[in-house]
Formats: sequence, structure tokens, C-alpha cells
Amino acid sequence: MPEKYTGPLERLDATRWRIPKSYKQEMLVDGIIYADDKLIRAVKQDKSPEQVANVACLPGIVKYSLAMPDIHWGYGFCIGGVAATDPKQGGVISPGGVGYDINCGVRLIRTNITVDDAKPLMQRLVETLFRTVPCGVGRGGVIKFDKKELRHLMAEGSAYVVDKGFGWSSDIDTTEAGGLIKGARPDYLTDRALQRGFDQCGTLGSGNHFLEVQVVERIDNPAAARAMGLEKGCITVMIHSGSRGLGYQVCDDALKDLRGVPRKYGIDLPDKQLACAPVESPEGKKYLGAMRAAANYAWCNRQIMTHLTRQAFAEVFGQPAERLGMHLVYDVAHNIAKIEPYAVDGKMTDLCVHRKGATRAFPPGHAELPDRYKPIGQPVLVPGDMGRASYVLVGQPGAMEHTFGSCCHGAGRCMSRGAAIRAGKGRSIRQELLNRGVIALARGRTGLEEEQPDAYKDVLQVVDVLHRAEISRRVAMLRPLGVIKG
Amino acid sequence: MEPSYTFFDHTADMGITIRAPSLPRLLAPAGEALYAAIGQLAAGGDSRALSLELQGSTSAELLRDYLGELLILFERDRRMVLRVQVLTYCDKRLSATLFTQAIDDQRSVYHREVKAITYHELRVQEISGGYEASVILDI
Repeated sequence: MPEKYTGPLERLDATRWRIPKSYKQEMLVDGIIYADDKLIRAVKQDKSPEQVANVACLPGIVKYSLAMPDIHWGYGFCIGGVAATDPKQGGVISPGGVGYDINCGVRLIRTNITVDDAKPLMQRLVETLFRTVPCGVGRGGVIKFDKKELRHLMAEGSAYVVDKGFGWSSDIDTTEAGGLIKGARPDYLTDRALQRGFDQCGTLGSGNHFLEVQVVERIDNPAAARAMGLEKGCITVMIHSGSRGLGYQVCDDALKDLRGVPRKYGIDLPDKQLACAPVESPEGKKYLGAMRAAANYAWCNRQIMTHLTRQAFAEVFGQPAERLGMHLVYDVAHNIAKIEPYAVDGKMTDLCVHRKGATRAFPPGHAELPDRYKPIGQPVLVPGDMGRASYVLVGQPGAMEHTFGSCCHGAGRCMSRGAAIRAGKGRSIRQELLNRGVIALARGRTGLEEEQPDAYKDVLQVVDVLHRAEISRRVAMLRPLGVIKG
Repeated sequence: MEPSYTFFDHTADMGITIRAPSLPRLLAPAGEALYAAIGQLAAGGDSRALSLELQGSTSAELLRDYLGELLILFERDRRMVLRVQVLTYCDKRLSATLFTQAIDDQRSVYHREVKAITYHELRVQEISGGYEASVILDI
């Protein structure tokens, strides 16, 4: 296991801790970790605060290097890391600040089905979803795209697959960025990336990816819940997946391309994993273009799975998905880098915002939100673990002021996969979940053990920190009823 | 020193430590470790020998790239390397013949998807009796 962090951590207030920039000579800004007194004890158990300090050394970084309360050890950036750089001031873009799974993200679908109507059919529903939505190692999708179609898909985003019949036009309105980051350059992708992606669009993957049937257990913000169509006691579906092999290969190719590049631009990195290039350099533009293409692929991936989910529900409940009210509440990315305007020294400036295991959280009134969410703020979807709960939040003005419009993305792991497997020996995690009222089906032999509830922090603690810090506000708690995993 | 591998804990992913009496002999257990991370893979189709030629700047980078090639062979071509004949493996170059076979999906048991071979904690170093390498797999 990684060594513990022994550097400085100054308590700023009940929800924030600072690593002063005096900690390392190369630090250009302070590091700020969002955590309360309880969570900070777990934060110090690995070197993730060191990674926050290292990110603070990146050229062009603005204001601070941030970490959300679901912080844990990653590559270069910690998971839960947020950093914004100014391209006009030589600011860099770093694939480590996005992650291998470009646009890994979450979407939430609401329904009119009550938990009482769903419970007698839950076993059949989970089995049907397991059969209908491809998941697991080596599982190709139901749709195969040739090179030309892949390039279109990456250039046009989720509208491409919606036009082909895999969804409703309203899905695009309630997807972050309308399911499309402009400026995507599919032509920058290698053949290898395309080969990995041709049959994986519309597949869940494995590891911590999941498709979960939930019930709205509690409403904390009735007005926001109403705007989202969330009703207590009604069924929802959450899908967590990303850009699959295509995205992993885009990151891998970029890291190879960036070997030696920091030195070319006179950038001295405290950690090689922060390999980067100025945003406005040819290398920076190449990664940005390819990353955008992979991000658009991920939105298409989650869109196709939405369509398959609706099909499964229609089959089990004997009604079309429209009659079941299966509208997309929202879709968020939590591994991405985007150019967004923020006030810097009183002037609006386009910054390159890296969110690695962090979610966008725009406040009420933001121009990028669909009209129905402008009064309440952007929905933020925060999966917990498959035994306890997930949360829906809304972004608050504090996010724009303090965290570059960012929030947490999940519970954050607190146990390694190896430790989770050892802890699961002699136990049936499937039965334990069943005892909690959760039907779980997984293709991977060790999937349930590795992803067991105890492997994750309590998501309520994570969400609570940001609620108290006024970065986001709680809207609803979702309790799992059924889950499929790869 | 017998070629061997072990797994070590990482918060979200999996780490491998590989040991062998020489640099070239690191490759076989490294590949076995990757396959063990994916699951219990069974070979059962056509056999094919492939040439592999990699350039790099360190032996650690080349090891990472080698495992990256095995991952592509697995994911894209559904093939696994049963034996590797190393022609050259030094800081700048890795040249090998890979004896591959198609994977029998029916007889294979999958544990998890390996997304990528990372650069995190990547190292190859000489130790008493041979070489030791460390690689972290992104799960």
C-alpha cells in the first residue's frame, strides 16, 4: 500500500484544508482539499495530498490545485482532482488530469414506476438488463461501427446515435454539453484506438462501471426534485461508464506522444505522471482534439445503453418506455478537460479546467444549462456504492467561486482491490447484498468482492462536506435495488 | 532466482512486482501477471508467431510498452502470448518473437478488464540475483 502523507495540511475551516505553496519550491499556488475533520484522517493514509501539491507546480495553473472530498491516490493527479490552467499564460493540458477513461461519467433516468409495482418484477428486470446491456470483459456491443461511422459519431456526439434511433431528442438537452464537445478531432485518433472502439460503443465495461436500478428514498430539495421529475418511491436507473477501449487508447497514445515533450518546453515536472504540453502547442492541441473525440464517443456509449435500458424495461413492464416516463434526468462527465470561462483577477478568462474524478456543478442561471434547470442549478449525479446510496445534487454559486464549477464524483475508494478480495473470502457478497434488498449480477468472477460496499467511503460524508461548503446542495437520495456489473 | 510475479495493493487498481534472473526473462512472467489480472485465460485456437519491435528510452518504458502490446492482442485480436523469444531487450530496444494462440472464450474465466498499463510507480532495477520490475495496471 502507498506511504502515508506527512506534509503540511492547515485547517482553513470546517470543510477545507490547505497545503501551502511554501511546501515545495516549485509550487505556484496553494493546494486546497475539501474534507471535514473525519474524512481528512483517511485522506492522509495515502500520498494523494502529495499529488495535489505536485499539480500545483503545473505551468499556468490558476488560483489553486484542488481536491474534492472523494480524493484518493491516482496517477499524476489524484482522483477527485481539479485544476485550471490559463492557455494564454502558457498553461498546460495533462492527460493525467483527465484519466485513461476519458469522459467516464454517469447518467440518471427517471421513471413513473413505483417501487411497489417494480418489486415483484425486480429479479426479472435485473436479469433482462443483464442480458440486454452488454457488460464484462471481451463483450462486444450489439452495434458495430466502421471507421467512417466512428469518425461521424465522434464528430457529432450523442445526436449521431439518437438520429439512428438510439434515444429521444430530449436526451440531448439533458446531457452535459448536449452530448458534444465541439472541436473534436477524430482524425487524430490512431487506428489502434478505432480498432478498440468499433464494437464497444453501447457496452458497460467492467471494474467500477455499473447499471443500477434504484428507488428515490428521500427528497431533500422538493423544488429541484420536481424539476428533475424525481418522486419519492419511484424507480430510477443510473448508468456509470465511459469511453471504453477507444478512450483508454487515446490516453495511452497521448502519453506516448508526450514523452520528452515537457522538456522541450522547459517544463520541469515533480512527477513524470503529470506529462503535459502547453494547451496552445501542437502537442496540446492534438491531445485536446483527440480527447474531445473520445469524450463524444463516451456520450454515445451511454446513450446507446440508455436505449437498451428502455427496451429492457418495456419488455418487463409490458409498456413502451415513453409511457413509463423514462426520461433522462441528466448526464455528467467526471473525467474530462474543458475550456470554460472564469473570473480571474476580475477579468473573464478562458481556462482549461481538468476534472479527474470530479463533476461539473454549474449554479442556477448558468447559460449552459437547459431551461428547465436554470432556476435550480445543474444536476450532479454522485454514485455511492451498491449497498448504501447514491445522491443527486445541484450546483451552487459557491462552485463557480471556489472550485471552477466542480464537485465530487462518487464515494471514493478506501480499500484496495486486493484487500477487498481478501475481505470477501468466505463470504457471499451477492447474498449480503440480497439481504440488504439488492439483486446483483456480475460477469467478472471477482467483481462483487472488489466493488463491495465496504471498499468505498460513505458517500453521504463526501456529499455533506460540499453541501456545508455551499459548493452543491442535496436534492435526493437514491437507494439501490438491483445492479448489473461487468 | 526463478522468474516470478506477485500482486501488490493499490487503492483503485492493481500493482505487479516481477522478478527474473535477467532483463529479457522479465517479459514472460510480466505477461503471465497481466493475464492473471484479467482472469484465467485458456488458449485454444490457431497458433501464430508475431514479430515485435519496440523502441524506447528506458527498459521500464519498454516493459510497459510490451505489456501494452499484449493488452492490444488480447482485446483487439482475442489472442494471448504463450511463449516469448526475446532477441534484444536493453534500454533502447526490445525485439522479440511472440508465439500466440487464440483465446478460448468458453473455457476462459474473466475477473476484470484491464484498461491500460500505466507509468505509475513504473520501474525496472537490478537487484541481487537478477532484476525486479514494478508496473501498475489501470482497472
